[in-house]
Amino acid sequence: MSELLTRLTTIVGSDGVLASPDELLVYECDGYVVEKKQPDVVVFPTTTKQVVEIVRLCNELNVPFVPRGAGTSLAGGCLPVGGGVMISLTRMKRILEINLRDRYAVVEPGLVNAHLTQALKGTGYHYAPDPSSQGACTIGGNFATNSGGPHTLKYGVTVNHVLGVEVVMPDATVVQLGGPTEDVPGYDLTGLFVGSEGTLGICTKMIVRLTRDPAAYRTMLGVFETVDDATQAISAIIGAGIVPAALEMMDQGIVQALEEAFHFGFPLDAGAVLLIEVDGLEVAVDEEAQKIIALCTEAKAREVRQANTPKERQLLWKCRKQAFGAIGRLSPSYCTQDGVVPRTKLPGILRFIIDVAQRYQLKIVNVFHAGDGNIHPILLFDERDADQVQRVLEASDEILNRCIDLGGSVTGEHGIGVEKISFMNRLFSPADLAVMQSIRDCFNPDGRCSPGKMLPTAAGCGNEHIPRATPGKRAMA
Amino acid sequence: MSVAEFVPATQTELARWMAENAAAARQKLLPVGGRTSLHFGFSAESDCQIDSRELTRVVDYPARDLTITVEAGMRIEELQRLLVAERQQLPVDIAQPVRATIGGAIACNASGPRRHGSGTLRDYLIGCSAIDAQGSLFKSGGRVVKNVAGYDLCKLLIGSRGTLAVITQVTLKVKPLPEAAGWWWLTFDTFAEMENVLERLLTSAARPMALEMLDVPAAKLVATESRLPLPTDCPVLAILVEGTSREVAWQLDVLRKETVPFGVQQIEQLLDQDARTLTAALTEFQVPTDEPLTFQANLRPSRCWEFAELANRLDVAVQCHAGNGVIIGQFPEAAASRDQALTLLQPLQQFASAHTGNLQILHCDPEWQDDLPMCGQPEPAWGIMQQLKRQLDPQGLLSPGRFIDRVPISA
Ligand SMILES: Cc1cc2nc3c(=O)[nH]c(=O)nc-3n(C[C@H](O)[C@H](O)[C@H](O)COP(=O)(O)OP(=O)(O)OC[C@H]3O[C@@H](n4cnc5c(N)ncnc54)[C@H](O)[C@@H]3O)c2cc1C
Repeated sequence: MSELLTRLTTIVGSDGVLASPDELLVYECDGYVVEKKQPDVVVFPTTTKQVVEIVRLCNELNVPFVPRGAGTSLAGGCLPVGGGVMISLTRMKRILEINLRDRYAVVEPGLVNAHLTQALKGTGYHYAPDPSSQGACTIGGNFATNSGGPHTLKYGVTVNHVLGVEVVMPDATVVQLGGPTEDVPGYDLTGLFVGSEGTLGICTKMIVRLTRDPAAYRTMLGVFETVDDATQAISAIIGAGIVPAALEMMDQGIVQALEEAFHFGFPLDAGAVLLIEVDGLEVAVDEEAQKIIALCTEAKAREVRQANTPKERQLLWKCRKQAFGAIGRLSPSYCTQDGVVPRTKLPGILRFIIDVAQRYQLKIVNVFHAGDGNIHPILLFDERDADQVQRVLEASDEILNRCIDLGGSVTGEHGIGVEKISFMNRLFSPADLAVMQSIRDCFNPDGRCSPGKMLPTAAGCGNEHIPRATPGKRAMA
Repeated sequence: MSVAEFVPATQTELARWMAENAAAARQKLLPVGGRTSLHFGFSAESDCQIDSRELTRVVDYPARDLTITVEAGMRIEELQRLLVAERQQLPVDIAQPVRATIGGAIACNASGPRRHGSGTLRDYLIGCSAIDAQGSLFKSGGRVVKNVAGYDLCKLLIGSRGTLAVITQVTLKVKPLPEAAGWWWLTFDTFAEMENVLERLLTSAARPMALEMLDVPAAKLVATESRLPLPTDCPVLAILVEGTSREVAWQLDVLRKETVPFGVQQIEQLLDQDARTLTAALTEFQVPTDEPLTFQANLRPSRCWEFAELANRLDVAVQCHAGNGVIIGQFPEAAASRDQALTLLQPLQQFASAHTGNLQILHCDPEWQDDLPMCGQPEPAWGIMQQLKRQLDPQGLLSPGRFIDRVPISA
C-alpha cells in the first residue's frame, strides 16, 4: 500500500477508504458523463477533524483533493482533475440542531437536501431551495454550486438561505464564516464561498435559514399548442408583475416520456405545458391564479387545468422532479444544459434551440425553470456513437453562446465545473477573471483544492495545469 | 478638513485615473456617494475622495424582466421613482434616500424594517462593476436573475465600506410594488410579553413584512420623527403587512386576534399615507442626529427582548428588527464623554457576546474611535478577511483604516 493510502486509513479507518479500480469506477464522473477520470482514492470522513487531517496529509504529500457530495453535479464539478484524493462528505449527514424560534438549522454537508425538509414536516417551516435532484443531492453540494430549484423563483437560491458555514480551508485550518445571526461584522465571505464549487475549501457544517410554509397553494397546468405560445405566456405573466412561486415549462418530448412513466393524463399532442404554482394567503391565491389563467388564455393556451387535491398537486410535482429520470426512456445518454436569458428573451432562445436540433440532427427536449429564464435543453445521444457525441457538444456550445449574446449566462444553477470552463473567457473579461483568480490564490494558493475547475487559468500555480483526460467543449470566439 | 476630490464622469475615466494613482501618486482614496455614512464605523484616512455624483445614469431598465442596471451614484429616491413608474420597487428600506446613493447603500449594506419580509441588498444585487485599487475595472454576476458563473464578487462588496473596490455600476433584481400596506402599533407592559407574541407569530396565519420591537426611548424618537400621534409610554411592537388591499385587511384582522391575548395595552392601526410615514420614520431611526453614539448589534431573534429590556433600563433607545435579530441603538445625549459611553456600552456588548452575537459602532465622536471596539469583538474569520484585503489592495490605497485593516485579530 502506498504511503497515502496507509495514512488515510489511519485517519478514517479501513472502511472509510476505497482504492480498488472497480470500486473507484462509480467515482470517475458525476452527472456530467462526458468526461471521466478516476481519483486515486476516495475517503469518507465522519468528522471535521478527519477532514482537517486528510487535507493536511494531501498538502504534505502534494496530492490534489476534491470534495464530493452525492455526485449529481451536471458540470463535472466532482471530476478529480489530476487524480488524487476524493473527499466524500456523505457520511457527515447529521442534523445537529433545529432552532425554530430563531429560524435556522445546523447541518452537516452530507445531509440529503430532502431529509432536512422531511425533518421539518409539521413545524410550519421548510428549507426553501428545492433542486429537482433534492432526493439525492447533498446540502453541501447545494452550497458549493449555489443550487436553485423550481421554487427559487419566489424564494431565492441557496445563497439566500445560508447564514453561515464552517470551512476546512485548503491549508487545513478551520474557519467559521457568518453564524446563526445575520449581519455578523466583517465581509460577507459566506456569500463569496457559496457557489465557489469546492475551489476555496471544504464545507463541513452549515447554518441554514428556515422558511415559513405558505398558507395556501394553487397549482395549474397550462396546455399550449406550441412552445412559442407557452414562452409568450411566461413573458406575459412575469411582465404583468406576477411572481408565481414556481413557473416551469416542459415540452412535448418530456411530456410524452413522463406520461409513459407516470400516466398522469398529460396531453400528448400539446407542444408544451407550463406547471405554474402560486402560493400565499388563502384570501389571495385564487385571485392570482385567475389572473394567470387569463394571461395564459390570452397567449392561446388550449386549456388551463387546476390541481384539485393535494394528491394531484403532489403527483404533478413528482412528475416534474422526476422528469430527468424519465429521459432514460428516450435515450441511453443525455447532456443537460443550463443557460439563462432575460425572461423576455425566452421565446427567441427556444426557437433557436429547435433550429439547432434540426441543424445538428439531434433530439433536444426541454424541461426548465422558465420563470427565471433558466433553460435546460436536454440533448439526447448515445455515448457509443462518437459522431453523435461531437454533435451534442457543438450544439450545446451554440445554444450557450446564444444565451451570452442575448445578455444571459451559461449557467444558472449547475455551475461551471470543468464542463463550461472555456466559456468563462466569453462571459468575463481578463480583468474580471484576474480578480477571481486573485481570490482563489488568496485562499487556495497551491491550487491543490479542486484543481482545474471554474477558472480558465492560463498562468498560475502548479496543479491548475494538469491536462484533462478528455478535452471538453469550446466556446466560440 | 480639506481633502482633494475626484469626480469621474464615467467608470472608464475613473479606472484610468486610479491606475495612474496606483502607479505614481499613491494617494489614499475614499469613495463617497451621498456622504450619509462616512463615519459609519471607523473614519478612513484619505488624501482624496472619489465622488460618484456624476455617475447617475440608467444603463438599462427592461421592466418586464424585473431587473434594472444603474450607475452607482444614483440616489435612492431617484431609483425608487423610476421603479414606481413601472409599479415596481427595490424592497429594501434605505435611510436618507434623497442623499444616499445605491453604491453607498451597498457598501454599507443598508437595510431597514422590511428586511424580515423581503431580505437585504444581498438578495437583490445580481451584478456589479467595480474598480480595484490598481485601477482594474471588473464585473461580477450579470443582468439575469439566476447566474452562478464565477465567484460572486457582488456579495464580497456588499458591506465592504469602500475597502475592496469602488462600486461603479449595479444590476438589481426588483419586485412588483404591493398595492397596500398597514401597520399595527402595539404597546405592552413588559418585554417578556412581546417575546410571547413573537413566539406566537412564528406560526401566524399572516406573513408579516416587518416586526419592530422598540423600547420606550426608541418609541418616543420614532413618534417624534413621524409626527404621528402614537402611544409611547410602554415598549412597542410594530407589525407591518403588505399586499393587495384585501390581503392587508385580512392580515391586520388576523394579527389583532393573534396578539391581543398576550397583554396588549394600546393598539393603533396605520394605513395608507400613515403607514408609509411610519415605515420611513423606522427607516430613519438609524440616522444619528444629536445622539452621541449609534450602534448595531446582531443577535439571535429570541434574544432581542432581553437586550431591549437592558437597553431600556440604561435609557438607550433601541429598535430591534425582531424577526432578524438586528438591532440599532442610539445613546442618550447624557452620554457625552467617552468614559460615559464606555460605561453604557459595556453591559450591552457583554450581553451580545454572551449570546453568540456582536455589537459594532456605526457612529460616534471620531475622538473616541481608538478606544471603542468599533467593529465589535473579534470574529473568527477576520484573519482571512485581512488576508483578502491585502491580496486585493496590497498597497492599502482604498479607504485605509476604515474597517478590516484596523481591527484586532484574535489568536
Ligand atoms: C436529475 C437531476 C436534477 C437536477 N436538478 C437540479 C436543479 O433543479 N437545480 C440545481 O441547482 N441543480 C440541479 N441538479 C444538479 C445537482 O443536483 C446540484 O448541482 C447539486 O447541488 C449537487 O449536489 P451533490 O451533493 O450531488 O454535489 P456533487 O455533485 O457531489 O458536487 C457538486 C460540486 O460541489 C462540490 N462539493 C460537494 N460537496 C462539497 C462540500 N461539502 N464542500 C465544498 N464543496 C463541495 C464538488 O466538488 C462539486 O464541485 C440536478 C442534477 C440531476 C442529476
